[in-house]
Amino acid sequence: MMAAPEPPEQVDGLLEKIADTALDDDYYVVRAGPHEQSRAFNTVLTGLVLAVFALLVAIAVIQTRSDRPATERERTTLINDIDSRKSTLAARESTADRLREQVADLQASVVGFDAAYEELRLLASDRGAAGPGLRVRTSPGQVLGSDITDRDLQTLVNGFWYAGAEAIAINGKRIGPLTSIRQAGGIIKVNYQSIGSPFEIVVLGDSEALEDRFAQTAVGRDWLERRKNAEVRFDMTRSDDLTVEAAPKDRLTIKHATAIEGDS
Amino acid sequence: MIPVIGLAVGIIAGLVFQPTVPTDLQPYLPIAIVAALDAVIGALRALGERRFNDRVFVVSFISNVVIAAFMVYLGDQLGVGSQLSTGVVVVLGIRIFANAAAIRRRIFHA
Repeated sequence: MMAAPEPPEQVDGLLEKIADTALDDDYYVVRAGPHEQSRAFNTVLTGLVLAVFALLVAIAVIQTRSDRPATERERTTLINDIDSRKSTLAARESTADRLREQVADLQASVVGFDAAYEELRLLASDRGAAGPGLRVRTSPGQVLGSDITDRDLQTLVNGFWYAGAEAIAINGKRIGPLTSIRQAGGIIKVNYQSIGSPFEIVVLGDSEALEDRFAQTAVGRDWLERRKNAEVRFDMTRSDDLTVEAAPKDRLTIKHATAIEGDS
Repeated sequence: MIPVIGLAVGIIAGLVFQPTVPTDLQPYLPIAIVAALDAVIGALRALGERRFNDRVFVVSFISNVVIAAFMVYLGDQLGVGSQLSTGVVVVLGIRIFANAAAIRRRIFHA
């Protein structure tokens, strides 16, 4: 309570002021008033106000009580909701983990296995190949004009390409897109590697069709002619189990040409 | 005697009729009760100090309830309803505690 001489404003703080003037000033004021007023507590007015107060409290209590089940229900619903979402989340997470593992596995298995890429590698003779085809053995004869030159081998290889060959190797040297067959100093070189007689040419493809179609080409007829007349040894055997190696890497490397942008 | 009867009548009326507060007024009920409690505790203290005046009690009760409810309403309109409610509760709480402490001192001399 404030001391009388102090002006009311000079209290230390708002909260202290509130605490100090907790009792309504009117209770003091009226006492000092000239007309004495009722100090009786036991009045109808007081009873009425207290009845209103009690009513307010009762209403609030009842309201809160009746609201509680709804709130409780809401709470339980929310908790159940959270639980179910959590379990959904856990399930999804485990699914995600499983799928991630699958992706990793598939990625691991896909490295080195792209079907189109592998086919292109096969076509570009970047891979060894196996399959049915023809094994051709040829060696020069003794008489004049029966030797086998680089040009003869070139036409022979071209003849087999024409006949439908899918992969060709001469003495184990695979014919790739950049392969050359040329003669230097009397020695035939394939992929810059020397080869000598007898030549063994492995041709992969449909062996029967290869043989038939080769025999019909000019090259084929020429070689069969030479075999008859010039004693050039030339025989073809069909086989179901032939293999050719990959062309050497340096004959598969493009150094100057680049792919045209956007041309696929 | 009459005040006690009034209290009892209020409680019984509430329990018997179980009036529902309109949804719009529901936020103001708790604050109104705190304000009313402040007036009641103040009246009790005044009673103990032999200063009680039923007119002051009625006026303080009504004005407390109305002003508290109005402040909460204003706060709701301004978007600071909960903060203003907290402020009202703090101020009224301090008054209630101060008055209760005064009653305690008077009764127990401590």
